[in-house]
Amino acid sequence: MLVVSNIDLTTDLPKMKPSAFLKSSVKGFTLNLDTDYRYLKTGYYVSVHAEVLGNQVIPSTESIIDASRTPILLLKASKAGIPTLPYLMTGSVKQITTQFAFPVVVFAVNPFSYEGYRIASNRSSLYRAVKSLSMNYKFAVCVQPLRGEMLSFKSIFGKCDYAGEVARISERVYETFEIPMCKLHVQTCELKAYLCGLQPLRAEEVFATDLEIVSTEIFRLSKKGEHLVG
Amino acid sequence: MARIACFVEKYNFSDPKEARALENFRRVANARGHVFDFMFREAISEIPKYDAVFIRATTDPLFTAYVVSKTAWELGLKVIDDPESIQICGNKIHLYDLFNKHDVPHIPTVFLNKDEMHHKRFLEIFEDLGKPVVVKAPYTSFSRYVEKVACETSFRDVAKRYFRKSDVLAVQSFMPTAFDWRVGVLNRQVLYVCKYMMPKGRWKHGCKRRGKPTFVWGRTFSLNRENAPLGLKNVALRACDVIGHGLYGVDIKEVNGRYVVVEVNDNPSIYSGYEDYRNKDLYGKIIDYLAD
Repeated sequence: MLVVSNIDLTTDLPKMKPSAFLKSSVKGFTLNLDTDYRYLKTGYYVSVHAEVLGNQVIPSTESIIDASRTPILLLKASKAGIPTLPYLMTGSVKQITTQFAFPVVVFAVNPFSYEGYRIASNRSSLYRAVKSLSMNYKFAVCVQPLRGEMLSFKSIFGKCDYAGEVARISERVYETFEIPMCKLHVQTCELKAYLCGLQPLRAEEVFATDLEIVSTEIFRLSKKGEHLVG
Repeated sequence: MARIACFVEKYNFSDPKEARALENFRRVANARGHVFDFMFREAISEIPKYDAVFIRATTDPLFTAYVVSKTAWELGLKVIDDPESIQICGNKIHLYDLFNKHDVPHIPTVFLNKDEMHHKRFLEIFEDLGKPVVVKAPYTSFSRYVEKVACETSFRDVAKRYFRKSDVLAVQSFMPTAFDWRVGVLNRQVLYVCKYMMPKGRWKHGCKRRGKPTFVWGRTFSLNRENAPLGLKNVALRACDVIGHGLYGVDIKEVNGRYVVVEVNDNPSIYSGYEDYRNKDLYGKIIDYLAD
């Protein structure tokens, strides 16, 4: 197994910097470890190159793109049995108010913004949220009803600081999309939890404790990788 | 009878030639007994009501069109353009990486990473590809985000601008020609062949007027696909083979009798009186593919 990462990791496995990997033609199971997998960023190109080489790679380019587009994330998650809420993808405030009662959660459907979502509790805040997150109506937004409380947390290989339903969602999202490091947005409501969105982590949000989880998971995956590469 | 949704945005109707082509699609579909509805962004939630989705709005993994394509695909509908084609054709780095792997004849290309912005690398590129070179952002479409540079200073300026959005850029040899071939391919069959002429004194089919915000486009000549050179059609089909079975527009340059691929585009332009001029059956072939 080959680990491609810019992060300082303590592992005995072969490791490469993304810039070196992009020029290489190394074959084998590839773990692309980055905090930012946004489309057009280095994390994305590493997975593209690995796939073109014919390598099995985590995460796949398809997962990278789909997980960052909230409507697709929710569609694929609900198909995989992860609890989600009804959503609407649109650029029209009128359509949102017709379909949902306030308050609502508005997510950007563009992978540029780090700042995830906005909560709108009246018409004027909804106008502001839609205008801002749609980048002046260039992109659509994804709207979900707000029935409980929003919870945002780091998910490292599906592991998080929460237990119960929330931890289950974190694990299932990793099983479905295989994004090693990300931030998840979940809504909790009367002991139930619903997946709302996913966004990249900033490098400064990754601590030493997270890197310990990463090292353990790399070891576990290397065993799986040996099996996959044969 | 199939129910076909055509995903469009308002700008698709701003050019009368494109609006007429869209109307032709509707007319041909209706004549074959199919339902053909234009679907705008506000009606995306109606996708499950249809059997097929035909995307005419500009595609890119960042745009709403990708979400429409992927949603339809996940729901098991027939889609043009399918999400995988959008993903590959929408990113020229992905495209050229595949061309390298499958030995598709294409313009000599090197990739430039964000951390390679140094004098030695620029010299290497000029040495390999000669001067000038063409710097291409991976998300280029309609001749935008492609610039010619002949010195390190302008190379740095252009690269710095494109690196704001993408961490990798494509740099290509400059191959001036009077026209680019455009071969339309559907499901591994040639649909139409055109010549996209360069405007006088320019090197791209579409370019900005100096000091003005408007674009000037070269003329388009349509050829009967049976009369187009066989070598050209074979190269176009070879390039599409590495991507998929969808609808593509392959740009090809003819240099010293050799055909080299410039790029493969998903969601190719279809304007009434241009691409369809000598191949009127293209509307029917696309509708039949969607309804099949």
